[in-house]
Amino acid sequence: MKSTWKLFLTATLVSVFLASCNKDDTFEKAPLGDYENGFFVLNEGNSNPSTASVTFIRNDGAVEQDVFGNVNPDELGMGSYLQSMFFVEDKAFIISGSANKITVVNRFTFKYLTSITTDLENPRYGALVNGKVYITNAADFSSSTDDFLTVVNLENYSTSTIALANWSEKVLEYNGKLYIANGCFGNGNTVTVFNTVTGTAEEVIALGGTNSPNSMEVKDGVLYVLTSDSSSAGAIFRINLSNNQIASSVSVPSEIDNPKQLDIENNQLFFTSGTSVYSAGLSTVSISTTPIMTYNSTSAWGQMYGFEIHEGKIYIADGGDFASDSAVYQYSMTGALLDTYAVGVGPNGFYFQY
Amino acid sequence: MIRKNLFTVLMPLLCCIVYAQQKPVHKLDELIIADAQLKKFSETQSLQVLNDSVLRKSQPLLTQLLAYNTSIYFKEYGLGMISSPSFRGTTSSQTAVVWNGININSQLSGQTDFNTLNASDFSSIQVRAGGGSVIYGSSAIGGSIHLNNDFFFKDTFQNRLRLEYGSFSTSLANYSLKAASEKIYCGFTITRFDSENDYEIPDSERKNLNGAFYNTSSNLTFGYKINAVNTLKFYSYLFEGERHLSLIYPTETPTKYNNLNLRNLLEWNVVSGKFNSKVKLALLNEKYKYYPNIKNEQFTYGQVETAMIKYDLLYDLATDMKLNVVADFTQNKGKGSDIESKSRQISSFNAMFSHKVKRFLYEIAVRQEITTNYSSPFLYSGGMKYRFSDFYTSRLNASKNFRIPSFDDLYWMNGGNPNLQPETSKQLEWGNDFTLKKMSFELVGFYNDISNMIRWLPAGQLWTPVNIDKVKSYGIEAKLNGKLKIGEHLFSCFGTYAYTVSENKEIQKQLIYVPYHKATLSLGYHFRKLSAFGQHMFVDEVFTRSDNNPRYNLEAYWVSNFGLDYDFGKKNSYKIGLKMQNVQNVKYESVEGRFMPGRNFTVYAILNLNES
Repeated sequence: MKSTWKLFLTATLVSVFLASCNKDDTFEKAPLGDYENGFFVLNEGNSNPSTASVTFIRNDGAVEQDVFGNVNPDELGMGSYLQSMFFVEDKAFIISGSANKITVVNRFTFKYLTSITTDLENPRYGALVNGKVYITNAADFSSSTDDFLTVVNLENYSTSTIALANWSEKVLEYNGKLYIANGCFGNGNTVTVFNTVTGTAEEVIALGGTNSPNSMEVKDGVLYVLTSDSSSAGAIFRINLSNNQIASSVSVPSEIDNPKQLDIENNQLFFTSGTSVYSAGLSTVSISTTPIMTYNSTSAWGQMYGFEIHEGKIYIADGGDFASDSAVYQYSMTGALLDTYAVGVGPNGFYFQY
Repeated sequence: MIRKNLFTVLMPLLCCIVYAQQKPVHKLDELIIADAQLKKFSETQSLQVLNDSVLRKSQPLLTQLLAYNTSIYFKEYGLGMISSPSFRGTTSSQTAVVWNGININSQLSGQTDFNTLNASDFSSIQVRAGGGSVIYGSSAIGGSIHLNNDFFFKDTFQNRLRLEYGSFSTSLANYSLKAASEKIYCGFTITRFDSENDYEIPDSERKNLNGAFYNTSSNLTFGYKINAVNTLKFYSYLFEGERHLSLIYPTETPTKYNNLNLRNLLEWNVVSGKFNSKVKLALLNEKYKYYPNIKNEQFTYGQVETAMIKYDLLYDLATDMKLNVVADFTQNKGKGSDIESKSRQISSFNAMFSHKVKRFLYEIAVRQEITTNYSSPFLYSGGMKYRFSDFYTSRLNASKNFRIPSFDDLYWMNGGNPNLQPETSKQLEWGNDFTLKKMSFELVGFYNDISNMIRWLPAGQLWTPVNIDKVKSYGIEAKLNGKLKIGEHLFSCFGTYAYTVSENKEIQKQLIYVPYHKATLSLGYHFRKLSAFGQHMFVDEVFTRSDNNPRYNLEAYWVSNFGLDYDFGKKNSYKIGLKMQNVQNVKYESVEGRFMPGRNFTVYAILNLNES
């Protein structure tokens, strides 16, 4: 997705330049919006509605808090407990778990477009597949039988549902299929390949035992799934997406407790445990117990609440005490602190424009 | 038959036997009180009485009554919704509610929801500020609220009907009956209160959604003076209510909450000479049901049955010298969808001593609990009072109080911590009372050090409570009471003011939802058959962030109510009146996002149908 965007933009710029290039012409690209050059941090918040917000950090380091409130002062808030956000073309979809609502805004201006409020019950994550948006819903958190998908028609934002009957959390799109990680707070141990054309689960890939998937990424036709079980032991599975078979797996050493937040960058695997970041080669057979970096946190239960590797830098969101504004940190790949940014309450994710 | 008679007579007669030769004194017009210690052993602390006329003026739910008449700050999640107190900057489970001498805080949560009690069911309500664990047990740290059904053994027949109808389809019906003679007393009240509660939120186009509620409560008080020495008393209170919990966002999943509470107290009182002994048996039952989705039948629940037996002996050592010893045994049996089924037993012993010598009074009290569930600290309270003149009295009190871990804290499935210890508080209070003929003024300074406060923290995958927090709170409270009579015109005023600092000792920041300033003012006017009142409440800004970031403070607000009624009756009193709440149509919230209603009206009628 990201590389297509870059290609599109470069092509536009080149064509504009070529078309209007003149010795006396000053070339100006029309800005897409105030929030084009930088990244968003989603602040989950707590039961106080003002704590759920979005922070924007510009490439030059300028920080703006409560972007949605600033741009749309007359609109009803996005809801409490912001679970996740995702981009669809030029729009951003922000999911509020407790308000059963998805707020749709222009991702560059953050101007409010519409809200999706039908057919949602504790929505979790979403993705664009074959022109429609699919959202996983937990419904009752203690049960897997009531989980379902909300299908959103992007023309009129009408919705419909598809029952899933399995723990359904993180999702991603690959080659026209929807992949659903069937793992929720340690429950579940499969990955579902969902065919959106037929509207059914095409295949359920069993990971075995108590390997509950918590994060996954696709690289070169292989789906990497990071799991952890109730005893906190983890493993990384490699699934060949041409035949949906598990090609291989590597276990995470037991010294690394509760591994999560798998990210792939520069042909390396990265994941977190506690306040540390670990890395391994894509096809490694063993994982080193030495972290590539560790950061200091005083948070009781928000250590490494958000994590992402982007363009050769490590981004860490610290949950803080979930009752006051917290911070996110930018580190180099060797663990040197580059920058600290103040954000809102309970930051849980990074969303880069490019 | 003989054995049964012997047993029932033996206990109270234990004291009578020794003093059989003394003639029992027949006291006329003595107010029969269940909570004797409230008057006798609270001389060195601040005690505020809210009598029947104040109770009738206010909104039925206890939160509103106390918010407008005391220094307590309430976190109310919308009108009629969950309501928790902050008394002198303490937490919700550090205020005890005492019903006719019995502590009735929930054993599950350790606190009382102040919207599960109707003020209309009690004869008087008293607010005792500061520590009281030594007498009333757990949670009496910030203060205690005493709900009383006191009565007289004298010829009475009173029938009263109170009807109210107001905005948001709110209606109240309350009937109370008092029938008594010199030997028997029977009191009965029943209240039914319900509301659609779909109020508009001021300055917005939004309405309070999913806020409907109802409750039915009933109180029965029975007294029988067997003879001049033996009195039997029975108190019973039932509360049943259902509340739909207000939403912040219209698309949130609507939930509802049911409460069913039943309290029973049987007391056998023997007064013989210098001994006054009581045997009390209390049976309390609390149950809640929470529906996480109104459309489904699924619910989670919690229930505790409490049985308590108490023996209370008061001995007049000499004139103005009293000794009171109390021994009690309590058993709580709890069960629920999220807690393990457990039974807890606690025995406790306490002794209170009070002595007054001319202008000087001192009182000492100690309490020790014995239980296998946690290590119970030794509690004490000591105070003295000196009456310098008719105008000025000064008092000083120091005490150690506690809050025991609740059933949810100890036995929550996947997380309860059975090794929890009680929270403890050490406090000091200095009070000054100034009394004039038409006016009285009270000024109190307090300091409270609380440690081992319970906070839920994650431990791996689960959450578990730990004794971790330390809080320091201090401040001043002032009360002004005045009455003026000009011809047939009667004016009265009652004002309170509190300045409270309450800090988390570790980060040295004011706790969230504790205002620095709170003030109330009540004005009354009476002329022949006309009555009018005005109530004002001012609450300062509160912090909503633990780091006290002022950007997110809730705004300060000043809310006023006004009421007017006229007595149309000739022989009996038939009052018809009109109340206006939130006269200035202020948009205010005591919890972020939970706005209270704007200006609204209530029409009421209080009809006294009695013959004497």
